[in-house]
Amino acid sequence: MALLEVQGISSSYGEVQILWDASLELERGRLTALVGSNGAGKTTLLRTVMGLLKASQGSIRFDGRDVTHVSPHGKAAEGIVLVPEGRQLFPSMSVYENLEMGAFTKRARGNFQANLGRVYDMLPRLKERAGQRAGTLSGGEQQMLAVGRGLMAQPEILMFDELSLGLAPFLVLNLFEVLQRLKEEGLTMLLVEQNVQMALAVSEYGYVLAEGRVELEGPSRELARNEHVREAYLGI
Amino acid sequence: MLVPSLMDGLLLGFVYGIAAMGLSLIWGVMDVINLAHGPIIALGMFGIYLGFTGLGLNPYLMLILVIGGGLLLGVLIYWVAVHRVINAPHLSTLLATFAVNMIIIGIATAIFTTSPRNVDFNLGGFPVGPITLPWTRILAALASVLVTALLYLFLYQTRPGKAIRAVSDNRAAAELMGIPTSWILALAFGLGTMLAAISGGLISTFFPFTILAGSSYELKSFVICVLGGLGNPLGALIGGLLLGALEGIIPAFMETSWVPVLEFVLFVLILLVRPQGLLGSKT
Repeated sequence: MALLEVQGISSSYGEVQILWDASLELERGRLTALVGSNGAGKTTLLRTVMGLLKASQGSIRFDGRDVTHVSPHGKAAEGIVLVPEGRQLFPSMSVYENLEMGAFTKRARGNFQANLGRVYDMLPRLKERAGQRAGTLSGGEQQMLAVGRGLMAQPEILMFDELSLGLAPFLVLNLFEVLQRLKEEGLTMLLVEQNVQMALAVSEYGYVLAEGRVELEGPSRELARNEHVREAYLGI
Repeated sequence: MLVPSLMDGLLLGFVYGIAAMGLSLIWGVMDVINLAHGPIIALGMFGIYLGFTGLGLNPYLMLILVIGGGLLLGVLIYWVAVHRVINAPHLSTLLATFAVNMIIIGIATAIFTTSPRNVDFNLGGFPVGPITLPWTRILAALASVLVTALLYLFLYQTRPGKAIRAVSDNRAAAELMGIPTSWILALAFGLGTMLAAISGGLISTFFPFTILAGSSYELKSFVICVLGGLGNPLGALIGGLLLGALEGIIPAFMETSWVPVLEFVLFVLILLVRPQGLLGSKT
């Protein structure tokens, strides 16, 4: 049984339906990719999974339990954690305080010191900048902090929305190394990316979203060889 | 003539600062302008009055009950009137808090009428050189400094306090990190209301009042929020002191009735020249 099962969810912004009957499954310990072009509905899907946006249809099951109507903070308390698009840090608070807020939930609180050590080890820049206000960090450092804050929540499932967007290539590589390490540790992850090539290269399984519908799914290696994917997303 | 008046004004300024801190906290954290601020200040006054004249309690002892009551009242107001419109346009939250304002004034007028009350409480004076400062004002100023310090400690050193700052920075992100943001907003509203009630309670020990007396302090709170910038307790305290000093100085040169005129001229000028507040940051 998959750790997270999203079945046929639809959602809308006001009158405009964005997501149509989308389904996906996150297998335990697997890095799954959700790719698609700008405006395909990837962020909407994540927002609906987290409960920031109401699903008008369909269900979301976590570890076999129905969590469709659980609030976003309730989902975080269960261990479903999203690193949102555009970092969404707490800019007036210090790097350390941002990490503390990441560990707000009861499940994360007890392991604060251990998780902090792990995050500082993986992202040493955060340790150097611990006392600095998050709003004054560079773009790359802000993305590192967003990832670090997500890890502090002691996730069962960690989802990344546009991790690589707007970052210099060496920073993207840096963050993908962190993903690799988390994968080796057995964390279940969902990587939502416009950078299709990169996402399919690091993930094991992938979904292609187009116009709010799941268009294709399969092992990432196969998707990367698929004619349609190559033509539409990889420009080959 | 000028020195005692200035001292009086400054001591009063501390209390203005507390009132403004309440308005500023709610405004800064949830972008809601609490139009029930004035009547809540007046409820703080009546709380002390009832404890003092009804039960014979010392006003400073009674203040502890006012603090608890203010906090609970604020949480209640949030859940009843503000929560359902928290994501609606500004006009809705203005109307919601204005409705609370009218309800409090209506009920309190029915119970207490609008004839002036006062807390007949005197601790004598404290001589400083040629002038004598009333103890009630000195204690009010000290209490205000203590409240500001405690508020700082709460916001910067405790988990719920930090959560209030996180929600103020980015509500959606706070929710995603597992922070129950609605409860945090209710708590912030409770604290803002509590601060208003404290300021009213302190003022009642030296001025007479009616249930409508809060409105002038509400207006002063707006001026101070603009002076001190939003969401910064220390800014509110300094803004309060500035306003208090002005109220102390102006009567030495012109009729007292000019005080509000000049205050609001200042208010408009600051909004025109430096809309982020005299002490506020750009963000």
